[in-house]
Amino acid sequence: MSTAAGGPAGGGLNPNQVIILGAVGGLAGIYLTMLNQAMDTTIFSFLGGIGAIFAAVWGADAVRRVCSYGLGTGVPSIGMVALGMGVVATMFGLTLPKVIGIPIIAGPIISFIVAAIIGLLIGLMSNKILMMNIPIMEKSMVEIAGAGALVMIGLSTAIAGSFDIVAIMPAVVETGFIALVFIGGAMTILHPFNACLGPDEKQDRTLGVAVSKGALIMALVGFASLAVESMDAMSGALTTIVGLVIWVVYFKKFMKNTHRDSYLVTGTGLLPSEEELE
Amino acid sequence: MIDPITIIDPITIILITLGGVLIGLGVHFIPVGGAPAAMAQATGVGTGTVQLAAGAGLTGLISAGFMYNNLAIDGIFTSVDYITVVASGAIGSMIMISVTMFVGQLIYVYGVGVPPVSAKVKKDPITGDVQDLYVSRGTEGHGVPTVSFVSGTIGGLLGGLGGSMIYVQLMEIVGDPSNMAVVALAGIFATGVFYVNAVLASYNIGGTIEGFHDPKFKRVPKAIISCLIASLICAIIAVPIMGGVV
Repeated sequence: MSTAAGGPAGGGLNPNQVIILGAVGGLAGIYLTMLNQAMDTTIFSFLGGIGAIFAAVWGADAVRRVCSYGLGTGVPSIGMVALGMGVVATMFGLTLPKVIGIPIIAGPIISFIVAAIIGLLIGLMSNKILMMNIPIMEKSMVEIAGAGALVMIGLSTAIAGSFDIVAIMPAVVETGFIALVFIGGAMTILHPFNACLGPDEKQDRTLGVAVSKGALIMALVGFASLAVESMDAMSGALTTIVGLVIWVVYFKKFMKNTHRDSYLVTGTGLLPSEEELE
Repeated sequence: MIDPITIIDPITIILITLGGVLIGLGVHFIPVGGAPAAMAQATGVGTGTVQLAAGAGLTGLISAGFMYNNLAIDGIFTSVDYITVVASGAIGSMIMISVTMFVGQLIYVYGVGVPPVSAKVKKDPITGDVQDLYVSRGTEGHGVPTVSFVSGTIGGLLGGLGGSMIYVQLMEIVGDPSNMAVVALAGIFATGVFYVNAVLASYNIGGTIEGFHDPKFKRVPKAIISCLIASLICAIIAVPIMGGVV
């Protein structure tokens, strides 16, 4: 049962499977971009985008679980708060290694942990001070904030080719692409459940939208990375192409799932003209 | 390598936190009708809190940023400049929310054909006009009555003030408005803190509110505590980074 304001949401994959898929897949995608530095190329940047898609699926699943209790303010709010926390935590985590002088490899993990801590606090405040009384609020806020941070790092890495703040600052922040990453990342997390909610909401359809949404943003960040000097054009084009291929596959799947879940799909023809009505 | 302790300035953190609290407070003044208002079945503008607050808040941020970069580009930033910048941000927000409410009002009155009316009070606290007679049966008011319009404008003022305070404080840590990275980072941080506070406030409202005359407005203290904690954490995190990136 998963209505707009009902009980817990069910589905094929249980929450823990999605958490592992999102956290491990997201971090793996981000860390695999280190192949760029190892092989002195930028061609592996698209892996950051793939990581972002994994994290987006996780975020979207957390949103559908918490929003099936009914927030009273609409689904988009929770996606915006995820990326609001995510952007603060991401920048903190990626900058901290430079500030205190530890290896940059710790950056994404620090961001992830800081996002989880902010998420936990916001979840606790929502339940204890604002009295929202949603049983899974704390857990979901931790997940959504963590996923939000991973989506941001993944997409930024896909643009800059590295999660080192020295590369991110000129490529993502200075160019203003951070705004695209911010709002695009929020869309991947908030939009799937917002589009699919209702009594007939199914997990595979919602998460399919998350994948296609993430792929679409990935294609856009590929275009964005064409404008970055330190990236060669091939890498940006590859990110865009991989993103578009995933998008086509999952959008087709989404259409199929929509037809499967709808009661009836029928052509109604054109509206009758005035003479025909008389 | 920079010593993180030297760049954590308590005044900056306090002012950023205050900015966050002002945003949370401002959201409570904005007449948000949500989905019911989109069908003219509740008083307020027919969209969610976050969208309305963010629309107005981000406009405020842009007008504050424009003014800041004009005034601070010569390297001198006085307290008169500070007031000019936050005033510019507040007015930007007020214009945006007023335009949104006014155009929404035109659609409610001339498009949907409903009189602007509040269902929460019998008489408009500002004009004294009778309200309850004009509420359509089965609805919770419709349109944006005078009291809600005034309330929304106050909300824009507070939100814009808060947002621009955060932005200016973050910019002042580095004090270099010609550095694009600093401008972008301060902007996106201010946006992030803005969204966190706007959403916390909207969770406190729980969907719809008509303005300061709405009984739900009494819940404000809870939102202030939450926004205080959330903004404090964001400020503690944001301040060292702004100092650390350059």
